[in-house]
Amino acid sequence: MAQPPPRHATMLSLSNSNSNSNSHSNLSSTTTISTPQTQTHLPTPSQSSTGLRVPSNRKTIYDRHLNRSRNAELSRASFAFLFGEMVTYAQRRVTGIQDLERRLNEQGYPLGLRLLDLLFYRTVTGSSSSSALSSSSSTSASPPNRPLRILPLLHLIHGPLWRLLFTRPADALEHSVSPDTPNEYMITDNDPLVNTYISVPKEMSMLNCAAFVAGIIEGVCDGCGFEAKVTAHNQPTEMWPSRTIFLLRFGESVMEREKVLERAGVK
Amino acid sequence: MSYYFTILSPTDVPLFNIAFGTSKSGGDGIARFRFPDTAQYMNQFIIHSSLDMVEEAQWMNGNMYLKHIDTYPPASAYISAFLTPSGARFLLLHQPPHAAGPNANAGGGGGGGGIGGSSSILGGSFAAGSSAARASASSIAANPTSPQTEEAVRQFMAEVYENYVKTVMNPFYRQGMEIRSAVFRSRVTAAGRKWL
Amino acid sequence: MTSPGDAAPVKPPPSFSPGVPRGASKTRYPNQRRDSSPSLDADLAESRVASPTPPLSATTSELPIRSASPRTPSFRSSTPQLARSSLGSPVDGRFEGSEEIRSLIIRSFSPVVGVYASADTDELVRQKGFAGGFWQLIRPFGETIPGKLVIRDSVGASRSWEDYGVRFVDLGNNNQSPPESSGGRSSPLAHAEEVLEKQLGSLDDPLGGSLYPKDFLGLPSTSPLYKLYLRQLLSIASATPHETFRHPVACVIAISSRNTAPLETLRRLYADTNNGDKRVPDWIHPEYLRYYVLVHDEDRDDITDSTKLYDQMKRHFGLHCHLLRLRSNQCVVTDDDSVQVPECEWLSPSERLYGRTEPLVDLDTGGLPHVFESDVMAIKAFVRELVAQSVVPYMENRVAVWNDQVASRRRGISGRFMSMSRRWAGFGSGSRSSLTSGGASGNYDTAHGYYKSDAPEAVLRKMADFAFMLRDWKLSASTYELLRSDYANDKAWKYHAGAYEMSAVSMLLSPSSMGTKVKIDAIDQMLETASYSYLTRCSDAPNTLRCLTLAMELLKSRGGSAVESAAKWAMRVMDQGLAGSIGQGLFSERISACYAARNAVPGMKWGSRRRKAGMWSVFAADLWLRLGKPSLASAALEEAERLYADVLQGDGAFSMPEMQTFIDNLRHAVKVEYLEARGLDTRDETATAAALGTEETSEQLDRRKNRKSLVVNPLDSGLSPTQGMRDNDNAADDDFERA
Repeated sequence: MAQPPPRHATMLSLSNSNSNSNSHSNLSSTTTISTPQTQTHLPTPSQSSTGLRVPSNRKTIYDRHLNRSRNAELSRASFAFLFGEMVTYAQRRVTGIQDLERRLNEQGYPLGLRLLDLLFYRTVTGSSSSSALSSSSSTSASPPNRPLRILPLLHLIHGPLWRLLFTRPADALEHSVSPDTPNEYMITDNDPLVNTYISVPKEMSMLNCAAFVAGIIEGVCDGCGFEAKVTAHNQPTEMWPSRTIFLLRFGESVMEREKVLERAGVK
Repeated sequence: MSYYFTILSPTDVPLFNIAFGTSKSGGDGIARFRFPDTAQYMNQFIIHSSLDMVEEAQWMNGNMYLKHIDTYPPASAYISAFLTPSGARFLLLHQPPHAAGPNANAGGGGGGGGIGGSSSILGGSFAAGSSAARASASSIAANPTSPQTEEAVRQFMAEVYENYVKTVMNPFYRQGMEIRSAVFRSRVTAAGRKWL
Repeated sequence: MTSPGDAAPVKPPPSFSPGVPRGASKTRYPNQRRDSSPSLDADLAESRVASPTPPLSATTSELPIRSASPRTPSFRSSTPQLARSSLGSPVDGRFEGSEEIRSLIIRSFSPVVGVYASADTDELVRQKGFAGGFWQLIRPFGETIPGKLVIRDSVGASRSWEDYGVRFVDLGNNNQSPPESSGGRSSPLAHAEEVLEKQLGSLDDPLGGSLYPKDFLGLPSTSPLYKLYLRQLLSIASATPHETFRHPVACVIAISSRNTAPLETLRRLYADTNNGDKRVPDWIHPEYLRYYVLVHDEDRDDITDSTKLYDQMKRHFGLHCHLLRLRSNQCVVTDDDSVQVPECEWLSPSERLYGRTEPLVDLDTGGLPHVFESDVMAIKAFVRELVAQSVVPYMENRVAVWNDQVASRRRGISGRFMSMSRRWAGFGSGSRSSLTSGGASGNYDTAHGYYKSDAPEAVLRKMADFAFMLRDWKLSASTYELLRSDYANDKAWKYHAGAYEMSAVSMLLSPSSMGTKVKIDAIDQMLETASYSYLTRCSDAPNTLRCLTLAMELLKSRGGSAVESAAKWAMRVMDQGLAGSIGQGLFSERISACYAARNAVPGMKWGSRRRKAGMWSVFAADLWLRLGKPSLASAALEEAERLYADVLQGDGAFSMPEMQTFIDNLRHAVKVEYLEARGLDTRDETATAAALGTEETSEQLDRRKNRKSLVVNPLDSGLSPTQGMRDNDNAADDDFERA
């Protein structure tokens, strides 16, 4: 098969604090830590003196560098297992396929919001060099621009975001040709990683678990200030049986702003 | 210089704020605003009013660091802004020291009745000689609009951003929650000490 | 709870609503006040027809209780003036806006016409009930010339104006306002403040009507108090060397038909103004137009005699003559054709304080005397002829002559060379003064601080002022610009400040070529220089205040990004302590209005300055409260609520806790003071407390939501349950975090 080499899901590395902390001690790294740090001496706030656990190595999430796991890869098996559990979890007490997809979407949404900040952070600091492990961010690289128009946003999703998640760009980016729906855009993934190990029962053939990814996209759009509704749809072809199209529908306000910015010459 | 730093959610909810003073050139890191201590709401008013400018600049300028975007002349308060891609705004109000120093309280002390703890809105700013303030603003190195200041603020913002991303990455943190981590606070304090 | 609105709305006295700019509606007020309700309704009905208001808001404005306007859906509006109904003042408020302020400013720079009447003329007029003589009779009619007035500018283009006017000043001795030189706190700014205080005293009694008439759309208009302040500010100036606006452009010399030696009297009067005791000082240009008027007594004298005399006058004095036919009998209200004399719009602060025209003395006459309608017609015709056929053509002519003789020489290459060489080599006209150092022209009398009226610098300034008063702002701007460096070289700082000031004002008034950022910056620079010269070099607070106020208003009327500049200058005024305590409050409100004038980008959320506007309204409320003016404070708070309504979400609470606390406290204090002022404190204490209590709790709503809540209109209905669920998740997390 012409499958690309197994994509290692860097996906979970996106919330690296998550994955890392899981391996260390479960909750400690994420709760608020009040102990004085080695670097910066606190004037010991009084209200947080009790009930907070410090990790045994006395390192908090703030002591970890965000780029450390940047190039790390994760086991595809463990991701598949984890995602499988997420789908199972989402499937509990759902009323139907739509409901299930909605839940998956909701699981992805907060991820999208976070990814956005991480993505920008990594492009700022990552390009300088991997030696930038000191706590200060590097000053040399000029930070990328926040997307102000729809097109840069879509490029951001299609390229950097996909690369961050799946180590490759998405396969296509299209604009709706219908004059009735100028607010619709489509991003195509020929073989979404999330669906690789999922086989949908016949009676649920409409289901596409990439709704999770759609949720991520929605989070990214929303975070950037582009109100949007994103859904995942099956569009199998001979060559790509699990080809998925992510349909982005931007809101009225976004389209109106587009026009204003267009006139103002904002790119 | 005195600083008031706030992180606001995209819906203008304050997520974090801190006041501190400069640690450069012998500063002790304690904020001394021109308003009397009872009028700390002034900082919030000024910050809040500068959101008008942020909202406009946000869509005209794709940079994360928007530089100095607003000034409140009566108190020579300068506002710099930094926008995270996910729409949180970092706003830093900086105010050069008052030449007349401690008498900032004089204006606010005896204000008229009724309003508990809010006796002076403008007392600290208008009443005390502003010409002196202007003189000091232009003479000392901590000129709020100089390129050096812009650069220092940018560094500060970048460092806070890094810590903010770490906060956001925490699975127990949800967008729009107040940031209560003492470690985060200490990190911001450290960044302020380092750059401002 | 006893609603404050139960009290019948009291209309402000007529003196307080001088604003209806043109047209003859002024006479309407006294009638209205006497039987307020019917005419009030009539007025309302009329307005409903006149304004494009949808019926809904018109009806709500009729309700005694102020219902929440649709623009402020859920702001927890609870200022005490629940019922500060817009019925309070049906006038003043429909024609407002920046246009009116602009017109006010333009009209404040009207040509000054001296009035010098013979004793017999004054006697005749006194018989009619005008103690101030002929000047007092015609003064109000000069302020608005009936009908359109066509003025030609320097390039020959004509433009007609409907709001032109002149200002009559008395040259005779009998009307010297007595307290002008009385010591103590005689600063004109202090006077202005006093006038405001007085005005407020008469109006701000707790049961008083609205100080802030809203128009029928519920949008606030410029407060009449502020307009009064502005008018005062612009009326302060008396004749000074550094500007010629108050120098006479013409002089009306009047005799009456009772005079036994008319021609001799006219000659004597003329001689008085030319070289007698009515001679102008050195720094006023001695050449100005003389206009001869024969006042004919309709009741006692024979018109044929007067006509004969009038023909004689025309033969002797040329075309600038007029025969004014007046009745000498006193007119009383009950006469069929009695008309009340309009009130003077432009009274200087001291006149308002001590003047004879006390508006509130006599309710029956409204304080203003009545005259026969025929007299009014005659005076109006006279004033129109005077201005349209003599004063304006005279000024046009002078501008053309001076432009030709003085200005163009300076503008051309040779002129520049002249002034250069004069500067470097001390060559040329610099002979009169002993002090010619530093390239000074030598025309400036440093000892007395003025240019003699025939010095080119003075003539140019006069020409520029004439052009300005003729509303040829392009010419005036370029002329002032020409002068600026001359004054700087001579270190004539007041002149210098004035030239910069008027140069900026001219540019702002000039209709063409505006709006670019560069231009605004240039104007800001000029204003900076002007205010520095005025205040720091000359310690001239009134002129600084005038300069900055003009700048603010004109920048504001420009709209767009200029309003930021406008607000900046207003803040400067407050910062430098130029305005008194009431002035501070008014300027705070003005800053708010400046910011509110900035509109959002159409269809978008950004571009407006609502938060800034709201903030300044809150500050104004705080200032008013500290001045003990709870009703003003309440109005300002209400305005703040209106402004903030657009930027606050949902429940209208501020997300910043200290801000919210401050506003709550302020609101409470205003309410308490307001009620106390009405003597209702004890009864309403509990109710007030209860009301506040509920407010405070409702503000503690958990407003944390994730971004999804930002989405204003969900794309489809499937979104809403989603959102609810996410919010629930949040709540759980919050608890965890708190634990």
